[in-house]
Amino acid sequence: MNRRQFIRDVLLWSAGATLAVPRFTILTDARAEEAPAPPLLAVAKGEDYGALVARALQPLGGMGQFVRPGDRVVVKPNIGWDRNPEQGANTHPQVVQAVVRQALAAGAKKVLVFDRSCNEQRRCYANSGIEQAIVDLNDSRAVIEHIDQRKFVPVDIAKGKALSRWEIYRDALDCDCYINVPVAKHHGLSRLTLGLKNTMGVMGGNRGSIHRDLGQSLADLATVVRPKLTLIDATRILLDNGPQGGDLKDVRRIDTLIASVDPVAADAYAATLFGLQPADIASTVAAHNMGLGEMALDRIKVTEA
Amino acid sequence: MRRSVLRPTPSIWRACGQTLFLLFFLTLFVKTDYAGVDELNWAVNILFRIDPFLATAAMLAAKTVIALMLPALATLGLTLVFGRFFCGWVCPMGSLIDASRRLVGRSVASPPRPGRRQLKYLLLLFLLTAACFGLPLAGYLDPFSILVRGLTFSLQPGLDHAAAALFTWTYQQAPAWVNMVTEPIYGFLRQFVLPFSPKVYGLSLFSLFLLLAVLGLSRVEPRFFCRKLCPLGAVLALTARFSLLRLRGASAECGKCSQCRMVCPMAAIGESREIAAGECTLCLDCVSHCPRSRFGYGIKRGGGAPAPNGNDQGADLSRRAVLASLAAGALAPLALPARTQARHSDPLLIRPPGALAEPDFLDYCLRCGECMKVCIGNGLHAAWLEAGLESLFTPKLIGRLGYCEYNCTLCCQVCPSGAIRKLGKSEKQAVVIGRAYFDKNRCLPYVSATPCIVCEEHCPTPDKAIKFREVVVDNHKGDQVTVRQPYVVDSLCIGCGICEHKCPVEGDAAIRVTAAGESRHGSLAGPEGY
Repeated sequence: MNRRQFIRDVLLWSAGATLAVPRFTILTDARAEEAPAPPLLAVAKGEDYGALVARALQPLGGMGQFVRPGDRVVVKPNIGWDRNPEQGANTHPQVVQAVVRQALAAGAKKVLVFDRSCNEQRRCYANSGIEQAIVDLNDSRAVIEHIDQRKFVPVDIAKGKALSRWEIYRDALDCDCYINVPVAKHHGLSRLTLGLKNTMGVMGGNRGSIHRDLGQSLADLATVVRPKLTLIDATRILLDNGPQGGDLKDVRRIDTLIASVDPVAADAYAATLFGLQPADIASTVAAHNMGLGEMALDRIKVTEA
Repeated sequence: MRRSVLRPTPSIWRACGQTLFLLFFLTLFVKTDYAGVDELNWAVNILFRIDPFLATAAMLAAKTVIALMLPALATLGLTLVFGRFFCGWVCPMGSLIDASRRLVGRSVASPPRPGRRQLKYLLLLFLLTAACFGLPLAGYLDPFSILVRGLTFSLQPGLDHAAAALFTWTYQQAPAWVNMVTEPIYGFLRQFVLPFSPKVYGLSLFSLFLLLAVLGLSRVEPRFFCRKLCPLGAVLALTARFSLLRLRGASAECGKCSQCRMVCPMAAIGESREIAAGECTLCLDCVSHCPRSRFGYGIKRGGGAPAPNGNDQGADLSRRAVLASLAAGALAPLALPARTQARHSDPLLIRPPGALAEPDFLDYCLRCGECMKVCIGNGLHAAWLEAGLESLFTPKLIGRLGYCEYNCTLCCQVCPSGAIRKLGKSEKQAVVIGRAYFDKNRCLPYVSATPCIVCEEHCPTPDKAIKFREVVVDNHKGDQVTVRQPYVVDSLCIGCGICEHKCPVEGDAAIRVTAAGESRHGSLAGPEGY
């Protein structure tokens, strides 16, 4: 065999492997478990965020309801911006830390924390305080990682109305438990960014283009990325110049957490913290119309924990 | 000639020294990056600050003492004592030239011809005079600048893209046992060798070409660049002529043996075996190869300046050539005010925050590429001739390719000459480097009543410089819809370019940044201003 022959053979034999595009198909019907009606939603207030997370989860049955021993867990906070915790643009590090700690205590095999940030990723991870908060746990099972571009896989969004296919971060799809931990804040286009909007952090590609039909796109996305638990951080809410803020005058500290298994209900309730109605948020309405959750406040069972 | 393997020759010591300095330099190069804190602790900029050629040129151009570059005096001082050791032992470009000698070919030294090595002195004279008279070109030929630009713009990003392609393939296609091996390798490379994120750079191939040309010239003669072109080498050679310590020992009495002359990469050894102190880089090849071990390193004998007419000792410059160089350097800048830039500068030439006023900036800037290396938004790119002959390789922000990160001050910290002033975070955030404007023929809410305002979302000023109006317009179906149409508030916009970078419209962004309104001194109004 000469060199030319060898190269030809290698190309021939490897062609099948290189041409195969990895492709994920999420069977939404198989995964969609109808939320028990009415959905349960817990609201808790307090200044000790570690205890606050535990209290907010109590009415839902505690973290053990969501994380089984040996589970691979993804905790997805908002680490989108190069802002510090007081500025309320990212999920508060102590909240993220408490959620991860609870998941570890529930026996998780691995807890992965990540977000595809808008500002430079290392700066966001550092300035948000979330990187340090995870490192401080000093547990090898808790991992915070920068986005690895190779992990974005094309996903068919079978039920989608605005999106039919998008690249989504692999870990968000093939984990045992996906926990969404957004921060509640103002947003110029969607008025507020809450749980459904936070899921944009697992999207690859040119995310900006989904702003053309943001509400429906987020609802479409919610058909394939389905958190088992949504925990909205409203310890500091950004009332203006969102989603990244920067002026402490726009931040109001209300030390509140909202927890629910129903992602739509969580968003619906969170809107009221800003004096808005659930119907004011297009993604909440779109997701509700797609049967992804409840948005009528009188049909959500709110428990103050 | 050949010694036992067990006894390292002096050349080996030199090669070890070169390797250590090269590794040190490459470490500094990789460390010239954000490291989790706002302050930059390690930077390759020290290399530029000990460069007496760049220091002299920048100070002549700026007509002031640049304190940041005073460490260059140490290099001169050491050269006065030890000779031109810097070129043979320390200079990373010299080390690369030596390392690539086998690849380039011609490992055997040609019969010693001093050749036209006076060219480097003439170039030095021209560059320094031109810098003094207003045409700063020193950075184009400085070996460190050529090297760092080649590494930053081309080699490191190229390596990154190659590694990403390879390890993406193994990650997605190869079986798990392959990934057990490849993933740790990729992880190691990502952490210690490659840039954090994929980068692109303007003039990347051109910079690579310049670097390869410097290495490739060694095919003509060993260390061609160092012998004949390098202006830093010229400064050090002029200094080393007066050095206290030097190599000596061999003489015409050695007889026919010319081993030392044959191996000398700098052709510094004359026919009567006298060593030109200005050319000798102390590589010690002659010491290693001398069959009678006649060479020694010690205090120069006789004292006083070297023989003025010694053929191989002096710089060997004709008066005519010197005058021509000086005249060229002094006269070339005279044509500059006639250029169009003098009346209207390129609006796309957006300088980094903290950059001095344009004429000063061009005088101070070393064209070293450090700011572009460290720019975490990958927004700074090498300019071409937008601001004239002297603007090549100076940094400019290209918003579509990258942006200026609001909280980042790394370029201000890394600049070795102070062409970009060191600014604190809040100072930097107040600097206006340009202003954004909307192209309403492309912007979606204007063109098609489609919601968007991604620019507004990303605008980093606490009081957003991009705001929007809610208007009711007819869409293409004739339906009335409410849409948010963005606009720029000039007094709030700082020109960071993140809006242009993130604009989801394909092709040209619908919002673009120009240098209009930048807050640098002296750029407020042109000479023909109203």
